[in-house]
Order: sequence, then C-alpha cells, then structure tokens
Amino acid sequence: MKVSLFATCLTNALYPDVDLTMAKILKHLGHSVDVPEGQVCCGQIAFNSGYVDDAREVARTLIDAFERSEVVVGPSGSCIAMIHHYYPTLFEKEPAYLKKAEDLIHKSYEFTQFVVDVLKQPDLGAHYKAKATYHPSCHATRLLGIGEAPLKLLQHVKGLELLPLPEAQLCCGFGGTFSVKMPKISEAMVAEKAQHVLDSGADILLGLDMGCLMNISGYLEKINKPVKTMHIIQLLGEGMKS
Amino acid sequence: MSNTSDFISNLASKLGRPTPTEPPPQVELSVPQYRLSNTEERVSIFMQNWQALGGKGAIVRSADETLQCLKAWFGEQPITWFKENSQALLAWDTLPTIAESAFSSLNWPLTRYSQSAFDPRDRYSIAANAELGITGSDWGISLSGTVVVKSDPLRGRAISLLPPRHLSFIESTQIQDNLFNVLEEVAALGSPPAAIEMISGPSRTSDIEMDLSIGVHGPIEVYVIVIDH
Amino acid sequence: MTMYNQTTDERVDKALANSFLRQATRRATDRLRNNKYKAADELGNWEEWRAAGEAIRKNVISNLDYYLNQLIEQMEKRGVHVHLAKTPADAVTVVRNIVREHNAKNVLKSKSMISEEIHLNHALEEDGVEVVETDLGEYIIQIASEPPSHIIVPAMHKTRQQVADLFEPIAGHALSSDTPTLTRFVRTQMREKFLRGDIGITGCNFAVASTGSIVMVTNEGNGRMVSTLPRVQITLMGMERIVPSFRELDILLNLLARSATGQRLSSYTTILTPPKNTADPDGPEEYHLVILDHNRSEILGDKLFRSSLNCIRCGACFNVCPVYRQLGGHAYGSVYSGPIGSVITPLLEKDWKKWGHLPYFSSLCGACSEACPVRIPLHDLLVKLRMRKTQSGHTPQVERQIFKAYRYFFTREKTLRRALRLGARLQWPFVRNQRITGGPPPLSNWTNSRTLPMVAPKPFMQLWADLKNKR
Repeated sequence: MKVSLFATCLTNALYPDVDLTMAKILKHLGHSVDVPEGQVCCGQIAFNSGYVDDAREVARTLIDAFERSEVVVGPSGSCIAMIHHYYPTLFEKEPAYLKKAEDLIHKSYEFTQFVVDVLKQPDLGAHYKAKATYHPSCHATRLLGIGEAPLKLLQHVKGLELLPLPEAQLCCGFGGTFSVKMPKISEAMVAEKAQHVLDSGADILLGLDMGCLMNISGYLEKINKPVKTMHIIQLLGEGMKS
Repeated sequence: MSNTSDFISNLASKLGRPTPTEPPPQVELSVPQYRLSNTEERVSIFMQNWQALGGKGAIVRSADETLQCLKAWFGEQPITWFKENSQALLAWDTLPTIAESAFSSLNWPLTRYSQSAFDPRDRYSIAANAELGITGSDWGISLSGTVVVKSDPLRGRAISLLPPRHLSFIESTQIQDNLFNVLEEVAALGSPPAAIEMISGPSRTSDIEMDLSIGVHGPIEVYVIVIDH
Repeated sequence: MTMYNQTTDERVDKALANSFLRQATRRATDRLRNNKYKAADELGNWEEWRAAGEAIRKNVISNLDYYLNQLIEQMEKRGVHVHLAKTPADAVTVVRNIVREHNAKNVLKSKSMISEEIHLNHALEEDGVEVVETDLGEYIIQIASEPPSHIIVPAMHKTRQQVADLFEPIAGHALSSDTPTLTRFVRTQMREKFLRGDIGITGCNFAVASTGSIVMVTNEGNGRMVSTLPRVQITLMGMERIVPSFRELDILLNLLARSATGQRLSSYTTILTPPKNTADPDGPEEYHLVILDHNRSEILGDKLFRSSLNCIRCGACFNVCPVYRQLGGHAYGSVYSGPIGSVITPLLEKDWKKWGHLPYFSSLCGACSEACPVRIPLHDLLVKLRMRKTQSGHTPQVERQIFKAYRYFFTREKTLRRALRLGARLQWPFVRNQRITGGPPPLSNWTNSRTLPMVAPKPFMQLWADLKNKR
C-alpha cells in the first residue's frame, strides 16, 4: 500500500522522532511511505477555540496536501478525530471542499487503528521489557471509538507488562488551548491524572496522542516524578530495534 | 404576561412554519422491555426488589394469613399506640376484604381518613399523628419494586405520606412487569385522577455527604402485602 | 449571594483551595456515576434507550408549539390557571400576585430549578413571606444563602458539621452531626411547616401534553407533601419540559431515574392531573401552572443550539465531567453548572460579559456527550458557543491576533519551517535540562505548572526532506 503520513503540527515541531518512527514501522511492514508537502495541521486548535474561519483555511491546506493520497495515517487520535468529526461542518457551505473533505475522512486513520484494524498486523515482533500503563485519550476513545487497537499492539510486545490505569477515562486536562486558557483547572486535572499514573505502579506511561502525553509528562517532570512517557509508536520503534 | 396565541405563534415563527393542526406523528419506540412470563414470577421479582429498597413484604392467601403477618410485623405495638391515640391506624374507606377482616379479627380499629374530620387541615393533623397508614394499590411494578396508587374521593393521598409507616395491599394479578405497562393502563383511563403516586420504598435522601438516610419526610417504614388468590 | 460578585478567577481559586469541596465532589460524582452504569447496564440495551430518548425529545422540541398548546388547552379545560411568562421577571410577578391574592404567609417549595433561575425566593421574602425549601439539600443551601452546587445533590459541598452548624440556631440547641440526627431534626422541623403551608410551589420534571398532567419525581417525598397539603399549588415549568403522552413518559422516566441516581425509579414518582376532584379528601383546590420562556424560544429558533432544549436535567453530565470534578458547581458562578449549565446559561442569559467564561470550562473531552441519556452533543455545543462568542467580537484582541498568526503560518509549511528553526534558536533562555521551563505569557500559563519539550532543531518535515535528498 502507498501510505501518506500526516505529521501532525505538534510532533512535527516537538517530537519529530514520533513521525520518523511511524514512517519506519510502516516501511518495515512493507508499505511505501510518502510525506506530502504543504501539510501542516488539522486546524483543531483554532476550531476548538471558536475561530472557525482560521481553522477552515488551515484545514483546506491539509485537504489540498492529501488530495492525491491513497491512505493517510497520523500519530494522533485527536487530529484524525478533528478531520472525521468536524470537517463536514467546516465545509458545509462549500460543496467542492465538502466532497474533498469526505474523501479525506474515508482514507484517513490514526496509526494504531490503521495497523490493527486495516492492516490487521497487531504483532510487530517488538520486545520491550518494562511495566507500562496506557492512557486512553479522550478524542481517540470517544470520537474515533478506538478501544482495542492500541491494546492489541501492546499485548504483542514481548516483555511488556501492562498495568491498569486507575480512572483511565478521565481527561488529562490538556484540551489544547484549554491548558493555557484555564491553566489552574487544567493543572488540577493533570495533577489527578499524574497521581493515577503514579498509583498504577508503571515505569512508563503510554498513549497515542502526544498532546496528552506532553501535558502529563510536563507535569510529572515539574514535580520530579520519574515516570517516562512514550507514544506507543516510540515504544514499538524501540522494541523493534532489538 | 403573554396570551396563549401570541406565545404559541412566536414559537411557530421560531420553528419557521405554522403550528400543525394535526398531531405530529408519534415517534417509533422499539426499546426491548423487561418481560416476565407469569404472575408467580412477577410477584417474586416484585417482592425481591421491594425488599432490596428496604420495604417489608409478604404474600398471603387468606384473611388468617394476613392476620398472622400483621401480628408478626407489628406485635403488640398497635395496642400501645391505641392507648395514646385512638386514630393510630388510618385507612382508606374500603380496603380489600381480606384486609378488612384481618383488622377486625385483630380488633385493631381503623380510622377512615376521608371521614376523620370535616376540615382538610384537621385530617392532615390526624394523618400526621397516626402511626400507620393503610391503603390498597392499583398496580405494582416488578422491575422497580413499586406500588402505584390512584387518588379517589374514598381514599386520600396523605395516608401513604404522613404517618411514619405505610402498609399497602396489592392483588398479585395487578403486578405488572414494568413501568411501560402501568403507564399504558394509566393512558387507558383517558382522564387520569388528580394524583397517581408511584411509591418505591421508603422516603430517602443522600443530601448530607452522600450518606443514605431514611425517612426525612415521608414514611420511614413501608410494608406491602400481596394478596394471591 | 456573594459568589455572584466574584470574578471567575476568584471563584476558581476558591474552589481549588477547598479540599473538602473537591473530595466531596469526587465522592458524589463517583458514586452517582457508578450507580448509573449499573442501572444502565441492567437494561442491557442502553444505547437503544438513549436513541429513543433523543428521538422523543427531538420530536417534542420540533413540535413544541403544538404540544404546548395541547397542554394548555387540557389544563384550562379543567380549570387550571395557566400563566405564560416571557421573562423571569414575569414569572416572579405571577407568583407574587398569587401569593398576595391569597394573603399567604407560608410558602412551601419542593425542588425547582426554574425557581432558582428566576431567583424567586428572594422576591417572595422581600414581600415578608416565609419561603421554605423542603428538599433537604435545598433547605441546607437556603439557610446558607448559596446556590445549588449540583443539579441533583444541591448541598453536596457542605460537610455534615457545616450542616449541623447551620441547623443549630434554628434548633436552639446543639446538634450532633450524624446523619440520622440531622435527618430527624429536619423531619420534625418540616412537619410543622408542611401542616401550615398556605401555598405549595413545585417544579415539574415532565408535563404530559395529551392529558395535561404534571410529572414530578423526588426521593424524599417532599414533592408529594408540597403537592398534597397546601390549599393552593403553583407549578413552575420551563416550556420545553413536555412529553407527548404516557407512552413516551416511560422511556424518559427510566432514562431520568437511572441517569440521575442509578435508581430504576425514584422513590416517589407523582403524576398530577389537577385540579383535584372536589370530593377528594386532600390535594390542592386551586392550581396554577407557570410556563417560562426566558429565551428558550430564542434557542428554539437557533438551529445550532436547539438540541440543548432536549435536556431532561438528570445531571449525568456533571458526574462524568473532569472540570466539574475539580471545581464543584459554584466556580461556574451560574445557577445551572456542569456541562449543560455551561451550554444553556450563556443562551438563556444572553450576556457574554457575565457568562462568556462558561464555554471554556471544558477540555472538550466529550465525556458529557457520551453520558447524556438523550444524546445532546454537549461538547460540540460548547465549541459552537465559543464560535458564537468569537464571531460576535467578544473574545480578546490578543487572542484574535494569535489565531490570525496561526492561520498565516499554519497554511504555509515552508514558512513555518523557518519560523520553527528560529524558535529553536530563541528558546535557549527558557531551557533547563533540555526542557522549556518558563516563557512569556501565554506560554507561562503552561510553564507555571508544567515543563515543555524543546522545539526540535529540525522539524520532521525538514528531516524528511533531508533524508529524501540524501537518497
């Protein structure tokens, strides 16, 4: 399959290794990978803040970039959920772009969803000895309905012990601009999430959205608690090296 | 204040169309409902659920069994009550025959609420001072452990509300599977009575630190006797 | 009520500093949420019930004029006095006039969110009337002069000791703070009030249009007291609280009881079809129904937000909301708090200055939409409110500039690449141990409680291009 990567704005700028590892894994699985030029961001940050006109232009740029792609895969449940859930509203008054948006919706997937549900290859032959816990991000879970896929990938990682995360369903308090617009509420939320992570007894916190992980790890760092946070892609990448 | 037609036509304009003159089509409802197969099962589940809510319950087949049951529940208490208050037992004008004969055999006199005083306020005081309110019931609901009571000139709503204890009698065949069936019966009345009370257990509240507490306003103890012929 | 004069920040700070409040909020919401899951699972097909609930509410709202008219006709035909109030002030006037006409001194109330919405108690008290909230939780906050902190458990934020302290001056002696003692005190205290109430004011959970019936659920039985004992009864209802007939009522009562507290049915579900039969030994002789609009008709006409009228006030969204969990209800500053409060308050009150913060009291995690028994897309509505606020020019200038810049850079990948590389060079003053630990606002809002990873020396798009060129 010819897979186009959607390097989300956050990973592009702050965690380029996530995108790079995603490319490597997909190549390893025998697919050709390209990264269409011009792509930047799904537009969610503006959309969720109420700036729909700004969001629409950013979304348009993304739609244009992937117009000729067969399949689009991104390392974020939240960004893919933005495309799937809100692009139709964003372009409801532009039939031409609405059509293009629907094309993109039909061919775009979050990484774990793609590997497990589409490629049906949950076993990547990875080894990683650690105790880990998994935070099910809100948008991936509630908007995209991703439940089992990431867990299936992790269950196939040899040596990995997956511990339950208490109150896993609670939002970590990131919420994009929420974290800076309502910083105190956001802090209270991430403090509780961090406590649950510590209570889980895991050495590594895993997730499939760098936004949430950045938030939780940023807090854990600030309070000097040594729990490592990793995107599932990063863990798989490391585990596949051995 | 608005008059009705202005108020309604404002809504129609907000909805962008004239007010329909025919009833709007009913919504298709196809939720799978809780079903039981026979009366015996209904009675048994009803009883389980009623007791789980903190109510006491018994199934009786005769006046004598009713009498035994009342004795077991209340013992000598009523005798003590009557010493203080001759109107301690407050009831509907007519209870099921089995109940009437059990009370008369026990020689526990029933005060009939509707005739207890001329002024409603006096009736309320009598009810508030009574020890036990006794009613029949029109329907029961198995799934929720609920007794359902219609208001009526010969009955009275305060009987199941003001005394600290409420005892109701219900015919086993009147127990329905679920709320839907009872509401179907209510709808079949055409014009419902002034009040239909659905009672599921004693008065309860968790308003103080989420700590469950019984009897803040309504009855503290609730009893049901299912009459099975 | 002092909290109305505080700023949002002050209220948030106060809530976050109150450890009892936060612990109590968690306890209450955890309990209610878990009970709900059990009650929902038991039906075995909760999603079908939700879908049915949503369909019923949509049908009602899109035919609200028809059903409301039917309800009014049924009520008036039997001699019920129906009052239509456009504004909260109108509704208050109606009630005030009824109270005055009857020269009533003792007014009993069972729980009514509409009475909170129109700030009724205050107005009646000004007239020298004793107004008694009979729901235990409402009674507690009435004595404390506070608004409800949860739609179902209004005094959730009070400790038992605080409750005992509030009751003591009324009791005239010391009270132990155990629940049975406090409950018994209220029972005795209220009994006397119930027996001398002149007018009973109740809320309304559903109004059945086909028969003109009012449905009320309570667990304490106070709703029954207030609708049985006083000679005159007034029911306050929001105009959207309609159900077409008893057929649909089954679904909504199940959804309400199970979502609110996890009960199969509340302890008391009362269906009133007033007025009483003249020969009935009890029940009010005179019945007034006050139907409140208060911009609900505006919401009805606004397709973006119409679905917010579908709400059945069960509180399930409160019990899953991670923001509410941290704050409790008072930090919102509004009568209706929680996710649904954040949606409807700006729409009902139409005042961005006062209520513009509410749409931002959400991380948009979507837990509320998932919990709603009638499937209101609450978090989507919050986004739409932010959009409305933005489009009507009520957001800060700085914020608008930031998103203008965002749009500029995030539609030009190559330009962004250069900007990021510049950023990677400029970040050093804020870097400690390879993490960004400080910065100018609004970045400081993040770094006050969290660190940030450094901007990568090369963004992925550049790395990829470099790799491609090497090949």
